[in-house]
Parts: sequence; C-alpha cells; structure tokens
Amino acid sequence: MKTEHRPGDRPELERRVAAHPFLIGMGPREINLLIDCALLTRFEAGQTIFRTGETANRFYLIERGKVALEAESVGESPVLIDTVQAGDLLGWSWLFPPYRWHFDTRAIEPTTAIFFYGTVLREYCERDTVLGYELFKRMSEVMIRRLQAARTALSEALKNAQVAV
Amino acid sequence: MNDTPTTAGVSEIEGRLAAHPFLKGMQPHAIKVLSQAAVATHFDTDQVIFKAGEPANGFYLIENGRVILESPQGNQASVVVDSVGPGEPLGWSWLFPPYEWQFDARAAEPTSAICFSGIMLRQHRDEDLTLSHELFKRMSDVMVRRLQAARRRLAH
Repeated sequence: MKTEHRPGDRPELERRVAAHPFLIGMGPREINLLIDCALLTRFEAGQTIFRTGETANRFYLIERGKVALEAESVGESPVLIDTVQAGDLLGWSWLFPPYRWHFDTRAIEPTTAIFFYGTVLREYCERDTVLGYELFKRMSEVMIRRLQAARTALSEALKNAQVAV
Repeated sequence: MNDTPTTAGVSEIEGRLAAHPFLKGMQPHAIKVLSQAAVATHFDTDQVIFKAGEPANGFYLIENGRVILESPQGNQASVVVDSVGPGEPLGWSWLFPPYEWQFDARAAEPTSAICFSGIMLRQHRDEDLTLSHELFKRMSDVMVRRLQAARRRLAH
C-alpha cells in the first residue's frame, strides 16, 4: 500500500475526509475524530488491496477509481462478486469477529481512497455515541443496498440455473 | 400486514424482548423503550408476512419457526434467496427510503415473532442515540453476515 500521509498533510486530509459523500452531514467534531484514524492512500490499476483470510483491521472510502471484489476459485480465474466505486465504502470485516477478509479486492482503475484504522475507530464508536450512531447508520444504509443487490443477483443466478436444469 | 397481532401485557413483551438473542445485553431502559413499539405476533405455515413493493413499516424478531425470503418472478415460481430463523431479525427496508419491501417473506413453518413499528422507532431514532447506535450496531452485524453469505453463494 502506498500511503501519502505526511505530518503536513493534515489540512489536506481534513478537506478530503469532510468532502467524501459517505460522510456528508457529519458534524465537525465527528469528522475530527475520524481524521485521527485516517490516512490518504492510492492504488495502481491491478494492485491488490487485501486478500481473503488476512486480518481485517481497516476500511476504505473510495474517492476516485474502481475496486473489484473477487472470490478465490481453485484452478480457475477469480469470480467477480461486486465492484466498489467512487463515493463508496470498501470493507466490512473489520467490524465483527473473526476480523478476517472474506474476499480479495483489487483496484481495476487507478484509485485514490481514504484508509481508516477500524480497530481504533471501533473503540472511538464505543466511547462516543454520536460518532457511533452516525457511522453505523451510514454503514447500515450501504450494507442494505449491497445485500439487496447481492440477493437480486443470486435470484437471477438461481432462476437461470433452474431454467438450465 | 397480514398478521393478527395478539395483545400481550407490557411486562410480558419486555420479558420476551429481554430474552431474545438479538437484544442480549441491552439496558433495561432500552428494552422498555423498544417494548412500547412492539407487539407479539404469530404466523401459520405459508402465511405471507410481507410482499415486495409494499410499504415497509416495521421489522420482526423471530422467536420460533422459520421465514423464507423470496424474489417474485412474475408468472414463474418465486426464487428463495434467504431464510431467517429463531433469534434473528427480519426486515431492513423500513430503515431507509424508499421504505418498501424488496422481497416477499413467508412463514415456512409455524412462527412466533415480535413485530416492531418502524415509524415509532424512526421517530425515536435521533432522540435516543445510545439506543439507536446499539440497534444499528446489532443490525450491521447481521447484515454483514448475510451479505457475505449471499456473496459466497453467488461465487459458486
């Protein structure tokens, strides 16, 4: 991972965290807490971001570019599960045990993102209800959309499989 | 909703809420607040709980039984996309616009559940952040697991 963060970058980090669509409407105090856990980062096209089974201690807010979620497939090319785009959040597995990634992720375009230390942020959320509420509310909304999309895709796949049989 | 809620005393509902695995560890105050938006309900086998496109005005905590989620396919048979069992919550669409069910839900066996008014909980949402944070956190846990399960099935 290439982090761009240097001590002098705090104003740049503040600007980019506050401007991310996922965090629109957050108060300045909550944005400040988030910045404590944030770094700016960048991925080249084709670069792996995380792999299945590795420790999940972070998440990303994508600013520009596109990321593919892929499932490992023995002896075959990986199966594309989903794509995450500019404005979206990437990575949930840091939230709950066993804190391991369930899929591989790879930038499919040059991608800039904000990296958050989930482990630290989880503690912040436990201590600060406003931050916890605002963050989990937003994450829930994205999760629901992705879950509904995954189930719709699954129902299409199952329907096609039935037709094939 | 197609169910006929049975009236239960507040204390009985509070007891059932406190005993439900989804609410394990919740403060008594939070259980009390939730109980004001809750009613006990029961579904027979094959009874429809909600249908895709209908207004989503609440959610359920399943106590016993099993509910299947189906994707309607017009004239063809519905496709089962997931199932929800004892100890689990059912229904997310009440949380965010457009507040419409995305799938059909039907009891696969006799099912007892607690039904929550989403409207009452939404009104309360921005006032009691401690309770709302607890609920979102617990719901997120279930959502992530279901999302990962759906994606794993998609991969095969």
